[in-house]
Amino acid sequence: MQVMILFAVLVLTYLMVIAKRVPALIRSFRFQSFFLFLATLLAAFKEKQVELYFVSGLIILVKVFLIPHFLDLMARKIKVDENLGLLVNSQLSLLAALLLTYSSWALSRNLGFGQGPLQLAAVSVAFSVIFIGAFLMISRIRAFTQVVGILTMENGIFLFASAVSGGMPFLVEIAVFFDVFISVIIMGVFVYRINKLFTHIDVNKLSQLKG
Amino acid sequence: MNKIFFILIQLVFFIAVAPLLSGLISKIKNSLRMRKGQSILQPYYNLAKLFSKGEVVSATASWVFRITPFIVIASTLCAASLIPVFIFPASLNYLGDFLALIFILALGRFFLALAGLDTGSSFGGMGSSREMFISSLVEPVLCLVIFSVSLRSGSTSLAAFSAVGAAPVTFIIAGAALFLITLAETSRIPVDNQETHLELTMVHEAMILEYSGRSLALIEMASYVKQMIFFLLIAQIVFPVSLPVSVNPLQVIFWAIWFLARLAIVAISVAVVEVSVAKMRLFRVADFLGFAFVLGIIAGICAILGV
Repeated sequence: MQVMILFAVLVLTYLMVIAKRVPALIRSFRFQSFFLFLATLLAAFKEKQVELYFVSGLIILVKVFLIPHFLDLMARKIKVDENLGLLVNSQLSLLAALLLTYSSWALSRNLGFGQGPLQLAAVSVAFSVIFIGAFLMISRIRAFTQVVGILTMENGIFLFASAVSGGMPFLVEIAVFFDVFISVIIMGVFVYRINKLFTHIDVNKLSQLKG
Repeated sequence: MNKIFFILIQLVFFIAVAPLLSGLISKIKNSLRMRKGQSILQPYYNLAKLFSKGEVVSATASWVFRITPFIVIASTLCAASLIPVFIFPASLNYLGDFLALIFILALGRFFLALAGLDTGSSFGGMGSSREMFISSLVEPVLCLVIFSVSLRSGSTSLAAFSAVGAAPVTFIIAGAALFLITLAETSRIPVDNQETHLELTMVHEAMILEYSGRSLALIEMASYVKQMIFFLLIAQIVFPVSLPVSVNPLQVIFWAIWFLARLAIVAISVAVVEVSVAKMRLFRVADFLGFAFVLGIIAGICAILGV
């Protein structure tokens, strides 16, 4: 069951890689967070920890509802509905993502997380979600996708923490959630301002600005 | 002797049930669209009509065109006899395995594409080229699915993977990949559309446009059987159930009901997908099947990890 959820997260990350429009990207992120919620809930049920129930509640509140809703709102406001601005086309992105998954598997095996196939699977999925999130940030032009990329990385880090040590301490968790939410809002405002000033959110063109 | 008898029964069963699946899918689609729709038995009526009609063959067509329907139906039925349905698993090993299934189906597809080109009509050529484009994307995924499933179950035999008990993660992801390919292989909506003969969108229908009468009936029959083969594979992978080992009547009846129920579950999910998804442009199909490829690789990773 746990492995099934993990691999569902991985599959949804791949869906983000081939997504060509912003709503599809946001929907994949929403479902990814939902599976994260399921994984945490399962862990909470298994280990009977009250804190984990709180954490899963926070996930569903912040990552499944608030952040995607806010992103949707922003996407509608600045009308980036079509065209994500791919630097690499989707077939090549898929191949790159596969390579990243393979290397994360090799990495997690060599780092010595191989106590049983379950943990190896969990750690390699977490690593590959982090790497693919970074890849999304690098290979997409629009500032919008980069926000989703960093959120994906954050999801991967969460997965990693729960795979290695059964989750971060409760206070850290809450701080991270607060951090993520605030940073999304800041980035949203930022993207909105960029769009308003320059009428585009193409980050490549920002480097040509002269003060 | 006994084995041959069982194989014959299985072929008859395939021919009898396969058109019903298509009828079931179109019935479900129509009721989801709040329409009355055709009867669930309509494919049988169509086949009966086509078998009783005469046939027109173009004057420029060669022997390839005439021989193709027989090769297609023969190869598809041969592939159908490889799947363990009624036969006990042990008796099946000498016939062939998973890989044989792919290549026997590829033989039929090859001849269909040739026949589409043979008459020299522009539709046939277009249909053939599109079909080969799609199948060149489908076959690697099919191979990946099969490799990961057999890596997990330890054998390429079709009967072996029903012996693993409840489906492991590998099988479920491989089943998802197989589901996406099935949509492409049986010309279902995101890739092709069976209900239309619009020039711009048809793939499979364009290829067989020149056929009429009995030949068309054979080809349609073959595509029904092929669809059932794929549905059975999905059902076997996602809900693996071992064949009845003893001939206890109660057990056999229970098993038969569960067998048909699994087919119906796959058919219902195909129909729901068909109703809720729009048809893709031909070049978006590459992305669609690319995703199926990735699912296949993830299934392979799961198989290596042993989950």
